[in-house]
Amino acid sequence: MTAVLELPTTREEAFRWADMPALQAARTLTPRSAAVPDAILPDAARLVFVDGYLDPDFSRPADLTITPTTVTSDHALARYAAGQGHVIALAPRSVTTIEIARVNAGEDSHTPLVITLGKDAVLTLVESFTGAGWTNTLTRFELGQGARVMRAVRIVQDAGFVSTRDEVAISEAASFVSVALGATTAGTRLDAALTLNGDGAYAELGGALLTRDDQRQECAVRVRHARPNGQSHQLWRAVAADRSTVSLAAAVEVARDAQKTDGEQSLRGLLLQRTATVNLKPELEIFADDVKCAHGATVGELDARALFYMQSRGIPAARAKALLTRAFVADALDRIADETIRDTFAADADAWLEHTL
Amino acid sequence: MATKNAEAYAAVSKTYEWGFSSDIEQDFAPKGLSEDTVRYISAKKNEPEWMLDWRLKAFRLWQTMEAPDWAKLNVPPIDYQDAYYYAEPKAKPKLGSLDEVDPEILRVYEKLGIPIAEQKMLAGVEETNEDGTPKRRVAVDAVFDSVSVATTFRKELEAAGVIFRSISEAIREYPDLVRKWLGKVVPQRDNYFATLNSAVFSDGTFVYIPEGVRCPMELSTYFRINAENTGQFERTLIVADKGSYVSYLEGCTAPMRDENQLHAAVVELVAMDDAEIKYSTVQNWYPGDENGVGGIYNFVTKRALCQGRNSKVSWTQVETGSAITWKYPSCVLAGENSVGEFYSVAVTNNRQQADTGTKMIHLGKGSRSTIVSKGISAGRSDNTYRGLVRVGPTAENVRNFTQCDSLLLGDQCGAHTVPYIEVKNPSAQIEHEATTSKISEDQLFYAMSRGLDQEAAVALIVNGFAREVLQQLPMEFAVEAQKLLGISLEGSVG
Repeated sequence: MTAVLELPTTREEAFRWADMPALQAARTLTPRSAAVPDAILPDAARLVFVDGYLDPDFSRPADLTITPTTVTSDHALARYAAGQGHVIALAPRSVTTIEIARVNAGEDSHTPLVITLGKDAVLTLVESFTGAGWTNTLTRFELGQGARVMRAVRIVQDAGFVSTRDEVAISEAASFVSVALGATTAGTRLDAALTLNGDGAYAELGGALLTRDDQRQECAVRVRHARPNGQSHQLWRAVAADRSTVSLAAAVEVARDAQKTDGEQSLRGLLLQRTATVNLKPELEIFADDVKCAHGATVGELDARALFYMQSRGIPAARAKALLTRAFVADALDRIADETIRDTFAADADAWLEHTL
Repeated sequence: MATKNAEAYAAVSKTYEWGFSSDIEQDFAPKGLSEDTVRYISAKKNEPEWMLDWRLKAFRLWQTMEAPDWAKLNVPPIDYQDAYYYAEPKAKPKLGSLDEVDPEILRVYEKLGIPIAEQKMLAGVEETNEDGTPKRRVAVDAVFDSVSVATTFRKELEAAGVIFRSISEAIREYPDLVRKWLGKVVPQRDNYFATLNSAVFSDGTFVYIPEGVRCPMELSTYFRINAENTGQFERTLIVADKGSYVSYLEGCTAPMRDENQLHAAVVELVAMDDAEIKYSTVQNWYPGDENGVGGIYNFVTKRALCQGRNSKVSWTQVETGSAITWKYPSCVLAGENSVGEFYSVAVTNNRQQADTGTKMIHLGKGSRSTIVSKGISAGRSDNTYRGLVRVGPTAENVRNFTQCDSLLLGDQCGAHTVPYIEVKNPSAQIEHEATTSKISEDQLFYAMSRGLDQEAAVALIVNGFAREVLQQLPMEFAVEAQKLLGISLEGSVG
């Protein structure tokens, strides 16, 4: 029997579009054995978390420095993930590639993880979510001066609910790029708080959320510019089919000190059926006067003229629709620099589109 | 750069020109809010039983509700028991004409620069003759504190079939019409402040435009808070029947006071088939001094129901006053091909806070909406645009265009944009754009190289920034609004 949780309600502004009943339902699924997926990057260090615990049999930490730690949080969902976790410390000027697989057999699975990067350290990180049940993570990144993170998160869990909370601190001239793909049948809630607290810090945050049936996925992310000359880009794409809902809430906050900030948001939603819903909330909160902040948001269906044009060139309607949808999603996935990772993500998205269209 | 900003900052820092209060004998309901207060107000206005029941129902609801806190506003706790809920100028014998109005009241209007007498003269009121005379005329339903003091142009309007009354008169004279529509757009339980208004609304305006009538003049109400500690709870209801048109102006100023005053108005608009309502507001209530002392709390619920096919409602607002503004003029676009528009300029300075925007609820097929919002923040103020565009599942071919621009003057203020977009129909085309900027040195330099001084240059740029909205205002108001922007900008340099 699972314990009763105190979950936020939709009366709370930050959870206005959240689907907490789906999270509750995910916890009542019968556990089943879940297979550990094949590695995307066979040569990289690999950490496998099964039901929230680091599994030494499947993991291949190579020369990573991993030490236990206690992580705390007062975030509405992440607080359940707080507790005993691990720190991965990357030395200055090191270049590392890590693959993290989170496999859930259907129980509640909570993982807190801290990743620290020394000066000018470089990290390529790919994370996968597979299995079922409620998977809840709290991930903290601390980027030293000039450090770089290129991260790709792939949520392909079959059932249940995935909630992630990322807390990222980006120092001077450091750069953090994160792309998420939700091509799953599980419900999701991607929560992130990025702080650019060094001069000239750079952040890129985005992804594509694809939903069908009665599924609901959402992201609620906030990028805070605390210091001058920062740059941030948020690029999210939503594709909703059937009776599903995608909600994108992305905020940029510019503190008084953060002059010369360049903040940009692009949120776009694509509705495949008239029963589907896309919610967007591109929020700007600006306290500095010498900044460049802009956001664009659009919702609609595929461009009828483009569809017509392709058909006039002999491409069948269904194929044309698939191609255009694929291009729409690719906008977000193209930000992934590593080719192998990008191809894997594109394949996941294609598989989803093929099943849906 | 610092000097330019300082100059722009100074440009918008000016003391409130129209802060004064006048001594007129007033009748107060006892301080505090209880069922007895509601009954007192109702009795004072000779209201029928159903109206009292309606108020009481709202009051009981209100007691179970909590004040909303989702806006980006810092609202000090309001003691609802420490305010008067009803005040009216000492009863006088029935008014035959304007001349019989308390001269002190007339003087207040004169100070505001909108004397009714002059309005009459300007409009050439040789009493009636309604053969389509040019619409340079403005009918004023003046609300002095809580009660309509004088309604002009009534005869001419009546000849056209237009009903233009204070709402308490309308409740007595047209009970069926009022009863049919009151609370239909903003129900009693709508939100905390609207519910409070439903219980204790003191007066307001009722307008009914009959089928096929184009209202022969622009209708106008000047609201004004006068008595110390008197919350104003205005209630406006405008019904435009099939194929009719009306343009309604609402302008506000208030005298300088040290205690915060609460204002919770409700405005309901209904547009039937092919009807059009244009609702324009210039709001310039006392914003408090530079430390945020005093100033009006303005919690307003404004909503329009575009019920008929091809109906249209256009909200235009220029918000320069109030310590706290909480206001979202909205359109429920239920009719096929109905149109909703929202044009807004909001200026905040010193410690002012404004959380304002609109809601466009698209339910009808082919409904369209346009939102243009211009926020100007200066001093230590916060200016938030908060808007919702919702498209229902059966609303085919909906179009929306939203543009929110923010201009920051100084580095101590904040400009925020919180748009919500909820779409349930794929044929919808929703576009949203937003930008944030400041007055660039290039712009200032260019204007000044053409011979303008800094002050004029800033004023020119700010007026240009707000131009798209200002040009939506009717003539009578455009002048006032431009003057208002100008006033907050002048006397700055040096």
